[in-house]
Amino acid sequence: MPRVNGPLIVQSDKTLLLEVDHERADACRRAIAPFAELERAPEHIHTYRLTPLGLWNARAAGHDAEQVVDALVEFSRYPVPHALLVDIAETMDRYGRLTLSKHPAHGLVLTTTDRPVLEEILRSKRVAPLVGTRIDPDTVAVHPSERGQIKQTLLKLGWPAEDLAGYVDGEAHPIELAEDGWALRPYQRQAVENFWHGGSGVVVLPCGAGKTLVGAGSMAQAKATTLILVTNTVSARQWKHELIKRTSLTEEEIGEYSGTRKEIRPVTIATYQVLTTRRKGVYPHLELFDSRDWGLIVYDEVHLLPAPVFKFTADLQARRRLGLTATLVREDGRESDVFSLIGPKRFDAPWKEIEAQGYIAPADCVEVRVNLTDAERLAYATAEAEEKYRFCATTETKRKVTEAIVRRFAGQQILVIGQYIDQLDELGEHLNAPVIKGETSNAQREKLFESFRQGEISVLVVSKVANFSIDLPEATVAIQVSGTFGSRQEEAQRLGRVLRPKADGHQAHFYSVVARDTLDQDFAAHRQRFLAEQGYAYRIMDATELLAEEA
Amino acid sequence: MSSDEKPSAPRSLAEALRARDDASLAALLRARPDLVTPVPTDLTQLATRAGTRASVVRALEHLDRFTLQTAEALAVAAEPAAYEELLGLMAGDARDAAVVAALPGAVAVLREQALVWGDDDRLRLVRTARELLAPSPQHPSPTGLGPSVREATAGMSPGRIQEIVTAAGLPSTHDAVSAVTALASLFGDRRRMGALLAEAPAESLEVLDRLVWGPPYGQVTADPAARLRWLLDRGLLLPTAPGTVVMPREVALHLRGGHAHRAPEPVPPAVEAAATRPPQVVDAAAAGQAYTALATVEELLKDWDEGGPAVLRAGGLSQRDLKRTAVALDVSEPMAAFWVELAYAAGLIASDGEADERYAATPFFDEWLERPAAEQWVRLAEAWLAGTRTPGLIGGRDAKERTLSALGPGLDRSAAPEVRRRVLALLAGLPEGTAPTAESVLARLAWERPLRGPQRDDDLRSRLARWTLSEAELLGITGRGALSSQARALIGAAAHPHGPVTDRGTGSPQGPGDKLPFHHHTAPAHAPGPLSPAEQAVASASAVRLLAPLLPEPLDHVLLQADLTAVAPGPLHRPLADVLGVLADVESKGGATVYRFTPGSVRRALDAGRTASDLHAFLAEHSRTPVPQPLTYLIDDVARRHGHLRVGAASAYVRCDDDAMLNEILADKRADALRLRRLAPTVLAAQADPAALLDGLRAMGFAPAAESAEGDVLITRADAHRSPPRTAPEPVPEGPPVPDGTLLTAAIRAIRAGDLASTAPRKPADDGAVQAPGALPRTSPADTLATVQAAVLTGEAVWIGYVNAEGSASQRVIAPVRVEGGFVTAYDHTADEVRTYPLHRITGVAELADDEA
Repeated sequence: MPRVNGPLIVQSDKTLLLEVDHERADACRRAIAPFAELERAPEHIHTYRLTPLGLWNARAAGHDAEQVVDALVEFSRYPVPHALLVDIAETMDRYGRLTLSKHPAHGLVLTTTDRPVLEEILRSKRVAPLVGTRIDPDTVAVHPSERGQIKQTLLKLGWPAEDLAGYVDGEAHPIELAEDGWALRPYQRQAVENFWHGGSGVVVLPCGAGKTLVGAGSMAQAKATTLILVTNTVSARQWKHELIKRTSLTEEEIGEYSGTRKEIRPVTIATYQVLTTRRKGVYPHLELFDSRDWGLIVYDEVHLLPAPVFKFTADLQARRRLGLTATLVREDGRESDVFSLIGPKRFDAPWKEIEAQGYIAPADCVEVRVNLTDAERLAYATAEAEEKYRFCATTETKRKVTEAIVRRFAGQQILVIGQYIDQLDELGEHLNAPVIKGETSNAQREKLFESFRQGEISVLVVSKVANFSIDLPEATVAIQVSGTFGSRQEEAQRLGRVLRPKADGHQAHFYSVVARDTLDQDFAAHRQRFLAEQGYAYRIMDATELLAEEA
Repeated sequence: MSSDEKPSAPRSLAEALRARDDASLAALLRARPDLVTPVPTDLTQLATRAGTRASVVRALEHLDRFTLQTAEALAVAAEPAAYEELLGLMAGDARDAAVVAALPGAVAVLREQALVWGDDDRLRLVRTARELLAPSPQHPSPTGLGPSVREATAGMSPGRIQEIVTAAGLPSTHDAVSAVTALASLFGDRRRMGALLAEAPAESLEVLDRLVWGPPYGQVTADPAARLRWLLDRGLLLPTAPGTVVMPREVALHLRGGHAHRAPEPVPPAVEAAATRPPQVVDAAAAGQAYTALATVEELLKDWDEGGPAVLRAGGLSQRDLKRTAVALDVSEPMAAFWVELAYAAGLIASDGEADERYAATPFFDEWLERPAAEQWVRLAEAWLAGTRTPGLIGGRDAKERTLSALGPGLDRSAAPEVRRRVLALLAGLPEGTAPTAESVLARLAWERPLRGPQRDDDLRSRLARWTLSEAELLGITGRGALSSQARALIGAAAHPHGPVTDRGTGSPQGPGDKLPFHHHTAPAHAPGPLSPAEQAVASASAVRLLAPLLPEPLDHVLLQADLTAVAPGPLHRPLADVLGVLADVESKGGATVYRFTPGSVRRALDAGRTASDLHAFLAEHSRTPVPQPLTYLIDDVARRHGHLRVGAASAYVRCDDDAMLNEILADKRADALRLRRLAPTVLAAQADPAALLDGLRAMGFAPAAESAEGDVLITRADAHRSPPRTAPEPVPEGPPVPDGTLLTAAIRAIRAGDLASTAPRKPADDGAVQAPGALPRTSPADTLATVQAAVLTGEAVWIGYVNAEGSASQRVIAPVRVEGGFVTAYDHTADEVRTYPLHRITGVAELADDEA
């Protein structure tokens, strides 16, 4: 019997291993991408995972279980366990048994094609307060205000509802892309198209791959007033800057709604922080959502969306929602809320693929291990548990190594990123570089960023305030001296700082300086895992080696 | 020998048996193996035994639904019944063609099994069977028929009977018996009965309609309504007890058009195909699952390698241990229970029998492990096929409400192997690559071995069948629901070259679903029972041949990646897998294995005695791709810190202030066996234990003194834990095994010889006088019966020789109380209690007076 030598191995734990060097690997990737989440993409074998959310994503995108099973069977090297195929069919079958739709007489209704399912969910205590009268055996009315809530609840019960209730158009507003001398990249165009076709959902693109443009492209599709939610003020300014540059929108049409300014204009950019500000138990800035008839809501960095915003979002289910993110991994595990409230994943592309297309710079990642001095070792061993990380992360030796790296790349744009202000201040002093930290005013920050951009200063020391959405196009070297414990997505964001394509095609360098045999090393290993899994192999160097090279 | 007896109809079952040829007797004994253990002395005894309640019940339970329906019909027919009457009951007045075709086969089976005897004009159901199957108020028949007119009128006054006869429009007769006969023949006459009922008021007919398919009993008040009165007057309903009436059998049969059964099922329900896939796909899927099964069992045993879970006091595995095993195997608990039981059935695990009893791999496990994968699988599959233990029961409760635990007692179900074989045979009957629907398999099984009494979905056989289907899939007997070629070979079912058409045309009304008209009646030929050991060996070998090429070829390489994982894109050669298993943690299993290197796992490898350079060389040798720098770094980094402190084990030491003397000992060749090593100038460490060391040193001419145990380092690392040699648990078969041909021939010859002896005219033997002391009394069965019956009447005690079920003989003194159905119930003076003895086990009887003297 001829053995089909497929590129895919289906594991019993529902992971799929794809051999990338296989001749049919590309075809296989295309076939499984709609339903399997790419979990790791190191150099030889990519790991995908089958999850209920992934399978429902695929259902939402119009794939059926037959296609999924066919894809697995076609590309699998070994026979696919029957139980797994059955499980896939059963899981996918759960999506779409319940549908939310508009009824001409009763407004929003939940209908089912399978009466027992409706009976089952109506019996749930959590569903009962969300639904109204039973219209017929297969239909029950839903309070329009509970559209998000019920989707969230049903997903938790394992019966995700398909939302076909449609969207309001919102207040029209002319927006065009100003494609003068540039154009949306093919994958950006694809992302916009997939999103618009799907109605609402999340686009997953690596840092530096131009998520802002996907947002702009979607706005040009919607041609309606838009509310953009971003992580912080700097990010808000960058969005504004980019929108003015890339679209027909003018400065007057774009408002900023932040701690300092409260402008509401056809396109308004608000920060998560101001929305979640709470005074006397109420959120005073919530009215923003109702202040205009928004046609589109854009969520930047969906994976950071704070919990209260989910709550508001649940009330906005009639408006189109676009989520943008580099990763669906949430440290708090609320991926299912993203699925039910913002929408299914509409597009994603792995980092390496976009890098291969030349849209983001290739990066050289190096972990430099420094030794604690004998005195420090003793002190570290006796330090209190909560002090330990701080202690090893800020070891003296790191400074020397950082200086050495800065010297090595003299003349290039270098970012030094850290967690502890003392350490950063000290580094700034030794490197003779300005330090941006929480207390730096926004004006000062922008000024420093601008001169960094212009090349007036070549080394910038930043604290975690710069983690998100600041755009530093010309940074080619990033040196990380300490981080927020083991946060994977922080590492991803920091690497993202240097991944933007460089004007001169310079290779990007990402150095992570860690103290050997300490908590720092453990956290570093955890943080790097995400990137190693994305195919960014770390080289590991000893500090002595690095210092010796220099000498 | 029987040709001259043929013309005269047999008068008893024994006579009927005597008239049968050897082949037909062999068929009887094969179908009812309980009759031949122990071998009966003659045909009379065989007939008696065949009529015992236990044996008849067993035989009835083994009949298929149609044959059982036939027996039930015979039970409501006249005694004896002509074939035509039976045909009327089964095929109805309309003579249903399928039933007409199937009935001779069913009767043949009943005859063969000695449940029915007599020729076609005088068919008789064995009395015990008739008692079991005939309707009575306590045990309503599945036919839903009531008593006959004669039975129902048994207690009625002659006057009342005459009234009824008159009301029914018959001339009155001079006695009740002829009146009842006349009434019965009226009810049995379709035309006259039709005329009678034509006059009935519509409401009365409605009443009849309600009772016609049973239950035939109804309640009436003391003053019945007119519509009931009309029926009662004409005997269409007869009173049975105050307030209760019954519809006589003849009336019901008339209304039913002669049918004894509402739905006779002459044709076995076809096994329906759920899906058909190319046989290659099925075989590959099954092989994949087979491979998983092997991996799982091996993993389970590896997990238990250094001491498995404890054995509960009541036997079995605790719930907690099962849970832990399930987690370790990453499967659900019922599935873990299945794997544990499978390993147990295959003789791979057993209790070690120590004081704190634990489960451990048997020595056979190591042997099994060395075999090629295909053979390993066949061993598991054979154990599964033959085993009577049923993992599906685990977690449930037994009759005493005790939880049934894995590996524990109470899991044996005798029917399991037979059901498994039958399910697989049904699967084998489908074209290759065809998966059946579970429901149709269950329906077919229910037809073949119907439950007597109410039908249920969760009866043991249905549950066994369901478990069989799911376990077969787990084990890789089936692939995606269809029987694989390797499993076909294993059960000895040849693959159908073009795929037979049997069971496919489910809609075809003519003829049974199988091609041969009475396929199911000759089931043994088609559905092979357990194969003989020799046949099984051949079948297993061909299964191995089929399976071996389907199992994935072990690989000698892995792919190393910078995220510190290694992926083995298939099964690995065992040595490679063993080393990797130490050097890295397994992250994901299945067709491939994903390993992750961590500082801990690398340290483990270093602990296992490998050096960093070993590991580098190992990885370089087995990696298809360059070893990533972070991995190299990781190994070096861990190795850098590994082994600063040294810990070793020694069994004994030699201490001496004089270095020279230690030098002398070390230099001495005779010390080699003690494996001494110098740790310090004045200390030698020995691998030999202290006693051996002392002996050795003394033998060398030294005068060592033993030191107290303090400071002595003992080796604590035990070897892999093993139970003493154990055999796999024996399946607990249902009843005695089917005797093979040789035994049958011998048995039949013995029976015939005994029969000849007992039926030949003989000289009256003078018992008592020649009785050797201590020898069992020997009398002919007829004498035995007569003597015992006489003893019942006189109340005397007698002395009997008795052979118990194990075949051991004893003598007892009993006072018979009752003799019936081939059993003697007696007060046993020897045992001092009331006991029941089968007559055929009594070798002889002697009167007691002789001995008491």
